[in-house]
Amino acid sequence: MTTRRAVLGWGGAALAGVAAGGAVTAAVVGDGHPGDATASEGSGVVDFYGAKQAGIATPAQARLAFATYDVTARGTADQRRAALVEMLRSWTRAAAEMTAGRTVPGVNTNPAAPPADTGEAYGAPPANLTITFGVGPGLFDGRFGLAGRRPAALADLPKLAPENLDPERSGGDLCVQACSDDPLVAFHAIRNLARLGRGTVVMRWSQLGFGRATSNGAAQETPRNLMGFKDGTRNIDGADAALMNAHVWVGSETDQPWMLGGSYLVARRIRMHIESWDRDYLADQEAVFGRAKYTGAPLTGTREMDTPDFGADGDDGQPLIAGDAHIRLAAHENNGGLRILRRGYSYTDGMLPASGELDAGLFFIAFQKDPRAQFVPLQRRLGQHDALNEYISHVGSGLFACPPGVSGPADHWASALFA
Amino acid sequence: MPRIGLIGTGACLAAVSLLASGCGSGKKDAAQPGATAVTITLTNDGCAPDPATVPAGPVTFTVVNQGGDQVSEAELMRGDTILGEKENLTPGLSGTFSLHLDAGSYSVYCPDAKTDTTTFTVTGAATAQALPASVDAQLDQAVEGYRDYVIDQVTLLVPATKAFTDAVRAGDIEKAKRLFAPARAHYEQVEPVAESFGDLDPQIDARINDVDDPSTWTGFHRIEKALWQDRSLAGMTPIANQLDADIAKLKTLVGSAEYQPAVLANGATELLNEVGTSKITGEEDRYSHTDLSDFKANVDGAKKAFDLLTPALTAIDPALATTITQRFADVDAALHVLKGTYAGTSFVDYGTIGVDIRKMLTQKVDALAEPLSQVAAKVTS
Repeated sequence: MTTRRAVLGWGGAALAGVAAGGAVTAAVVGDGHPGDATASEGSGVVDFYGAKQAGIATPAQARLAFATYDVTARGTADQRRAALVEMLRSWTRAAAEMTAGRTVPGVNTNPAAPPADTGEAYGAPPANLTITFGVGPGLFDGRFGLAGRRPAALADLPKLAPENLDPERSGGDLCVQACSDDPLVAFHAIRNLARLGRGTVVMRWSQLGFGRATSNGAAQETPRNLMGFKDGTRNIDGADAALMNAHVWVGSETDQPWMLGGSYLVARRIRMHIESWDRDYLADQEAVFGRAKYTGAPLTGTREMDTPDFGADGDDGQPLIAGDAHIRLAAHENNGGLRILRRGYSYTDGMLPASGELDAGLFFIAFQKDPRAQFVPLQRRLGQHDALNEYISHVGSGLFACPPGVSGPADHWASALFA
Repeated sequence: MPRIGLIGTGACLAAVSLLASGCGSGKKDAAQPGATAVTITLTNDGCAPDPATVPAGPVTFTVVNQGGDQVSEAELMRGDTILGEKENLTPGLSGTFSLHLDAGSYSVYCPDAKTDTTTFTVTGAATAQALPASVDAQLDQAVEGYRDYVIDQVTLLVPATKAFTDAVRAGDIEKAKRLFAPARAHYEQVEPVAESFGDLDPQIDARINDVDDPSTWTGFHRIEKALWQDRSLAGMTPIANQLDADIAKLKTLVGSAEYQPAVLANGATELLNEVGTSKITGEEDRYSHTDLSDFKANVDGAKKAFDLLTPALTAIDPALATTITQRFADVDAALHVLKGTYAGTSFVDYGTIGVDIRKMLTQKVDALAEPLSQVAAKVTS
């Protein structure tokens, strides 16, 4: 208790004055070696309130619990909307408490009543818990009278071949991304929100993630994805306000002022054909990515952070980084400066019963100003040419508008959307 | 078949009502009329409450930071639980929070002070949530009504079971199949009561996976297997006789059972948990696929208990009563579209129900059971 409270104070103090408003962590972030994830983590508190939602610029925590929900509230559009706003108030209050390391608001000590908090995270520090909220395209159909508030940037994702999307793992009216260095704390968050939402929403799908598959901070050593390659070497650093404003935070260009200071989240469940990948020879694995497997260096350099030289040819006159190499196709230099903030996690859901193969891969999450101009063209290009496609399948998808941050205890998620 | 004894539950709640209810509730940051005022002076040395002992009831705490630069918050705790707190009080600032406190020992905690914990005592009887006499009378009526309902259902269960077991003894498979679900419906409506009588529920209602030795398996589901899977009633006469005897015993026992309002409410929630864990999965009537009949009976039993509590609950928490009423209607509407005439029931064969509908039913039952689980504490005085 003392430790937890003391940390709270320290977290608050450290947060003051940080740029990009609230979306920062006070924690000493781990060095990123797989397995070291909890060594120096666990005690941090990330401020919930602020101009921006936490969990976007925040250096990626070790674990993810992601869930999407469909709104089932019935009645007239006004009644449905009132029920949804009421639930968002209770969600926001609960999220503020949980991210501070406290229990869900309500009575936990009445022996005749079920405790308000489910209890599994009781006594556990929040471990940098962030809870990030978004709304999907479905919210802007006729049900809530919000059709006129749909941002143009929240256009349904077009078909992005090759993809094989499972409707049971795609879409959703709302999403919640809970990240923490403690998987129990992250799961506790989505579990309790699902409980608070009962009768108003139902969970549509959920995904647990681990391994912080993508670095998004200069302080973090680049982690490795399940293919064994460093992922996120050239990602946007969440602490770089200029890059964040240029590529991630929605600015005055938006047609919907309620999204000012927000960001668009694209989630893709990317299954890796691990068995095939694992029998590919090393030189080909490296050619597929355009990087050396162990050092992470581009094939035109010697160290991870060396800038790839896409014009460099080898002795055979062929480009050192192949034309279909993943990093060539994804690089901002080759996409007119286009960038996204990646914040994905590795996942496994055990074994695929039909084949006996591992059900594992990357739960890709990206934040951006406008998916139409960022994720969509990027993925279209990768989908057409990426050598990696032989080893991956996009099997789930979600698109959500994450509104700006919650200003304080009187405010709630997406309040400007419903104002 | 989770068995929560009525007697055990009742005893627990009786004890509870003497101790704590509404503990830690109360609106923060708003002084309550008639509340006892307590001042907590926050310094680097500690956070002593003044007075340190108050009578049970509403208490408003005013926390004043008198120049403590090492401390910025004070919390009222019971054991390890924070009941109320005021944070971010830099030197010179003050703030309040209000709580409804029952008798007992509490502590005031201010992290980083030299003495960070000070005892705070609340004396006297629990005054929390004393229900008005009119509500008490409504609750008494609810309990009486529920007692009558249970007796009625078991009184109907006796001949319905007898008709079923007669067909079994006569070796009439088709007739027994038609009478199976209608007899069970009376049982399923009051199942939590039956579950409170020790071995009786397992003898009447166990599934094959509930028994270690299948040769000792008795009751409805043993005969269900004979009818639908074995298609032979050979050896079922002793099982049928025993079922009659067990139901007769149940009838005697419910005649003298006593209930409390919270037992009604918890029993209703338990019935919905039964729906979620065994009916929707199709485990309950795995051979006959008459699960929807049991599903409806469980919901009806829960609805009856809730209806009886509704007048009192409407006085205590009208919003909760409205929510639950609406969600019962949602569940009923979902069941209504599955009406049919399968195997003596008013529903379709559950084996024909796809996963999408099963999922939707689960979600509607969960949406109902969650607020229903809040009722017991409301009607516990």
